[in-house]
Amino acid sequence: MPSILVVEDSATMRSLLASALEELEPAVKITEASSGFEALRLLPRSSFDLIVTDINMPDVNGLELVSFVKNDPAYRSIPLIIVSTEGSERDREKGLGLGADAYVVKPFEPDRLRELASDLMARSRGQE
Amino acid sequence: MAARRTRKGRTRSRAEREFVSEAEEIVERMRDDLLSLSEQQAAGADPDPDLVNQLFRAAHSLKGLSGMFGLDGMSELAHRLEDVLDRLRLGRVADPTGASALVEEAVALVASSLAGLGDDASTAATVGAISDLTGRIDAWLVLPTEAAGDAPDLAIDPTLLRALTEYEEHRLRHNVARGRYVHQIETCHDLQSFDAALSELGEAIKVDGELISTLPSAAGGDGSEIRFLLLAASDLDAPDLAAHLGLPESAVRCTGRSGDAAGEPAPAAGAAAPAVPAAEPAAAGRAPGDEVETLKSIGETVRVDIRKLDELMNLVGELMIQRRTLGALAQRLLADDQTTRVGAELDKVHKGLERKLQELQAGVLEVRMVPLRQIFEKLSRVVRRLRRDLDRAVKLEIRGADTELDKLIVEELVDPLVHVVRNAFDHAIEPPAEREAAGKPVEGTIRIEAYQRGNDVIVAVSDDGRGIDSERVHRKALERELVDPEQNLSPKEKLDLVFTPGLSTRDEVTETSGRGVGMDVVRANVTALGGLVGIESTPGQGTCLTMTLPITLAIVQALVVSVGAQRFAVPLSAVHETLFVAEEDLQRSRGGELLNLRGQALPVRRLAREFALPQTDPPDKMSLVVLGLGELRVGLLVDRLEGQQDAVIKPIQGPVADLRGIAGATELGDGEAVLVLDVAALVEDAGRLREAA
Repeated sequence: MPSILVVEDSATMRSLLASALEELEPAVKITEASSGFEALRLLPRSSFDLIVTDINMPDVNGLELVSFVKNDPAYRSIPLIIVSTEGSERDREKGLGLGADAYVVKPFEPDRLRELASDLMARSRGQE
Repeated sequence: MAARRTRKGRTRSRAEREFVSEAEEIVERMRDDLLSLSEQQAAGADPDPDLVNQLFRAAHSLKGLSGMFGLDGMSELAHRLEDVLDRLRLGRVADPTGASALVEEAVALVASSLAGLGDDASTAATVGAISDLTGRIDAWLVLPTEAAGDAPDLAIDPTLLRALTEYEEHRLRHNVARGRYVHQIETCHDLQSFDAALSELGEAIKVDGELISTLPSAAGGDGSEIRFLLLAASDLDAPDLAAHLGLPESAVRCTGRSGDAAGEPAPAAGAAAPAVPAAEPAAAGRAPGDEVETLKSIGETVRVDIRKLDELMNLVGELMIQRRTLGALAQRLLADDQTTRVGAELDKVHKGLERKLQELQAGVLEVRMVPLRQIFEKLSRVVRRLRRDLDRAVKLEIRGADTELDKLIVEELVDPLVHVVRNAFDHAIEPPAEREAAGKPVEGTIRIEAYQRGNDVIVAVSDDGRGIDSERVHRKALERELVDPEQNLSPKEKLDLVFTPGLSTRDEVTETSGRGVGMDVVRANVTALGGLVGIESTPGQGTCLTMTLPITLAIVQALVVSVGAQRFAVPLSAVHETLFVAEEDLQRSRGGELLNLRGQALPVRRLAREFALPQTDPPDKMSLVVLGLGELRVGLLVDRLEGQQDAVIKPIQGPVADLRGIAGATELGDGEAVLVLDVAALVEDAGRLREAA
């Protein structure tokens, strides 16, 4: 079963993201992290097929997390979606520049998120 | 019993409830942060950048969340809030105090929109307010700002530089402009404990500077470690910082400082760097290690719906009752020679169960307890706001904010306390000239104090204002025909008339206190919680209002008493003593019966008479239960004391619900439902009788 890591500090937003992704076909396993720190701890524990992260988080923010994932040979190939409220154009550019595969604006459309998630996971499976 | 406030309107989905609960938490945190911010601004200090950034992040979360739930107005407002805070955190604001005031107003509006969700009338009202405020914020946002420059030209690792957010770039520029060194710090930590280690490092860095970015760089060792690259600004050079942080010198590399990098943008407005950089307010205000604890508490805390705790408490109460049945069964087995051994074993099991149940009960109760700090902080915001709006010099003193009470009681206490404080502000504290003439300090004082006494918590609100003229209160009550002109009242009783519905001692109604909410509502609210309100006042010197509250509503130890065949439960916390009395011990007086209890006249009430119960065969020696709440005492005459047990008080419905003197119902060990007496009402009524006597 494909496995998705959702990183978001807002509990409500996290469960909205999770419930949107839970409807993916075929079924996926969702792991939730409430901070960048927690994500760092979860990453080595299982093999994820997709990471969905917020930017604005305390401690380690989304950009720092993207940088970590995309610079580490062990995780580099995991597709990554940034889900963040529209805001700084600069942060968006930076996120994509750091190697994020997509940028979704909150409030997000669950369908659009699922579509992106399936595409990205399918593409990365094809590359393997 | 307190009726739980139910939200208006349609039922909400679980996600919506989660949203409201999280949004309310965010708003609470923002209010606290704003309070700290305004204190820093008032003290003329540079605001703590972390604080402003935290506020920004909160607004950002609100925007995202409200957008997801289609709350366009709130989302718009949060968007503007985010914009203002973004400028504030990026130092692109000429008037930070004005910006904070806008933010404060917006946060208050978000709070009231949240409170009115689902209520069409209130939503319609907030729509107008939101569009007005967003308009004003938009006008404010067109004010010229300082443009952001590029990141300073320092020898920073490109990986780190690439991952800096716009805000982090701003902090970097700001610190460089302040003349600080910028260092790169390499650390490696255990994967299991890196957050505590990093927080400690962050706090240590803050003493002489600021942690700008925390970049996880690579897994170290066999994957059980993780490396970080930190970007920090500091007044210390690299070797000093390394020593201060307890790191090897090689771990800290200086990337440069202002002298090295030419053409830096000007520092943020209002945040000009002093020649000798002062310690960051954050560092001054927080002891190293605080952050570690905060992080820990976030990680180990779960949010629970109070209703779930209610359910748990009910279950514990029911188990307690079954436990008693089990105990009785054991006793019966013990008494029979044939079953003594089984009885003894069952008795042992029963005793073990009792101990564990008590622990469970104490545990659930403890979870329900919250410190009064939250509402005290709310009150200090109220005062701050009033001070600004009314331009009146009043200081608020708070004591005992750590005193804990059941969460439900704390919630129900907010409105009465806010009302009392507003009243004090509005009516009690005199204008400065009047105070000066009276030889008082120009600045008035409102003091809120909380402390525990036995099973009660006392919350007292006092002021050093003009006091209440009890004669004037009495005259007013006579004018409004609220008291019998024939009735001879003591000064204290006259003062107590302030709690009578329909009485306002002021002819004009000011905006602060509002119309229609009076002290009677305060008393009703507190009484509904099983508490008691008292007032003392000295004209010219001030007023003190005291609320005596039970620590919890959830479960009480009860004394079971009986009159004839009828049994009642009395909360044990209010029972001071019990004694046997005979008819001849009682003296009749004008106000009722009295007992001479160690030289004090104790008003006595007969339970049989209170509820018009048939009393076929009263015993020669009756039992007197001495009840007390606050300073008041009353003796309750009953036929027999039946014993003690835990009671989960449940509200009752129907005609009995409104009967004065009844707080609710509970189930006894034998399954019979009995009424629980409302001690506050009984004591209060007896107090009046005594005054009359």
